[in-house]
Amino acid sequence: MEDLINKIKNRLQLSSEAEEFLYSISKEKTLAKGEVLIRQGQVVKKTFFVTGGCLRSYCIDKNGKEHTLLFAIKDWWISDYIAIHTNELATLTVECLIESQVIEFNAKELDGIHSRFPEFESYQRHNLERHVVSLQKRILNQLQLSAAERYDLFLKQYPDIEQYTRNFHIASYLGITQQSLSRIRVEKVKK
Amino acid sequence: MKALQIIKYGEIKDSLVFNEVSKPTVQANDVLIEVKAAAINPIDKSIILGNLQGMLPITLPSTSAYDVSGIVVETGNEVSNFEIGDLVYSRVPQEQMGSLAEFVAVTSDAVSKKPGNISFEEAASLPLAGLTAFQSLEYVGIKENDKVLIHAGSGGVGSFAIQYAKAIGAYVYTTTSTNNVQWVKELGADRVIDYKTEDYKSIAKDVDIVFDTLGQNYSLESFEVVKTGGKVVSIVGPLDEVSAKMFGMTDYKLPKELANASSEKNAEYKFIFMHPNGSHLNEIKSMIEDEKIKPIIDKVYSFSEGVDAFTHLASGRAKGKIVIKIN
Repeated sequence: MEDLINKIKNRLQLSSEAEEFLYSISKEKTLAKGEVLIRQGQVVKKTFFVTGGCLRSYCIDKNGKEHTLLFAIKDWWISDYIAIHTNELATLTVECLIESQVIEFNAKELDGIHSRFPEFESYQRHNLERHVVSLQKRILNQLQLSAAERYDLFLKQYPDIEQYTRNFHIASYLGITQQSLSRIRVEKVKK
Repeated sequence: MKALQIIKYGEIKDSLVFNEVSKPTVQANDVLIEVKAAAINPIDKSIILGNLQGMLPITLPSTSAYDVSGIVVETGNEVSNFEIGDLVYSRVPQEQMGSLAEFVAVTSDAVSKKPGNISFEEAASLPLAGLTAFQSLEYVGIKENDKVLIHAGSGGVGSFAIQYAKAIGAYVYTTTSTNNVQWVKELGADRVIDYKTEDYKSIAKDVDIVFDTLGQNYSLESFEVVKTGGKVVSIVGPLDEVSAKMFGMTDYKLPKELANASSEKNAEYKFIFMHPNGSHLNEIKSMIEDEKIKPIIDKVYSFSEGVDAFTHLASGRAKGKIVIKIN
């Protein structure tokens, strides 16, 4: 939690009241591999800041197959933001791929923190902008880059991730088959 | 709820009927699965025909089939390993038989999360055949570089067994008919023997393991091809004495010819009767997710075509599994 507080302090003047409030709406947790934080079809009230480990959010299509939306490693946020912002049930499942440490926040209270402490407004806007940028990049990459190029970018974004993800997690993030992923890896080695 | 039920023993068309039945109730250790897909196996056909009345007594009418995939919609008080919303697959235990229905209650020990990279239909095709192959080859301690003969490589059990043995690193011989040679080769078998044109006994010699999925004369012939000190594991041949005891046959003796052949080769003969097991399904899940094994489906039928699916099963011509989509 201190890490996160320091990160926030780098961007804004954090009053002791605001700091106290952050502590009051959060809880540090260590989670086991395989633990599920958000389950498709359920109500979502929490959002998570990752301080260690790796989590994955994915949707399950009507045939029962999983499609990975994102991996969250240290310093990433993860939740089902569609569910939080539209008050709908979760369309995503969030699970731990390895033992992970997170700070769990009540999403609504965290969202509304700027009404109590206006200094958070620009900080939250900054986070939201970064989030929009990364989502747009992901969509555009998906539309215009080859699978091999997307895989290269993926490795740059998540350098050590192959140690604790399964091939099908990565294939389903890139939107390709596992055979295609194997082929791309073989080609990479040849280069 | 709607269920495809066996109402009497006999011909498939006369014996299977859609009935409206009550939803199963959940015991303390059960999960209630909303069925997405069910798969049928040769044993389901044998039950309908009445061939297994002595061994697997059921009360008629009874909902058919064991293989299932779906979503957990209710959990018993003592269930801690599953939650509502979990996507699961299972080979339903005998006493809870009835996956050809909108819901089935299953003891949680027999359930596993389904592999995430395959569909409900593909997941439903795996449990019975997969557990049979897995438990048989595990029992004989299959290991890297073993030479294994797997009979009927194009069947549900055979096609899984080939892929499993290859994942372990064994050398696989398998038998199949001419039409199936190519796709069985694609499963990874090292030497596919076309039994219509080749004599498997002159090709697969001194193997470490024979996996007998055919029975009849093949059980005995297994000892002609197994090496001295090797192992023969069968899922359809005569019971071995230990298995017979489990079925309450205390004075059962292995057929003499088989006992002699086994002792001459100093090769163990073991009959395996598949048992439902969630943790084995979980191991299979990992192998599926890592694409070491792929589900092989012949055809997917809709629920309303359920009887046609059984007729197709009875034809014996399916390449891979027959699946029925429920919901």
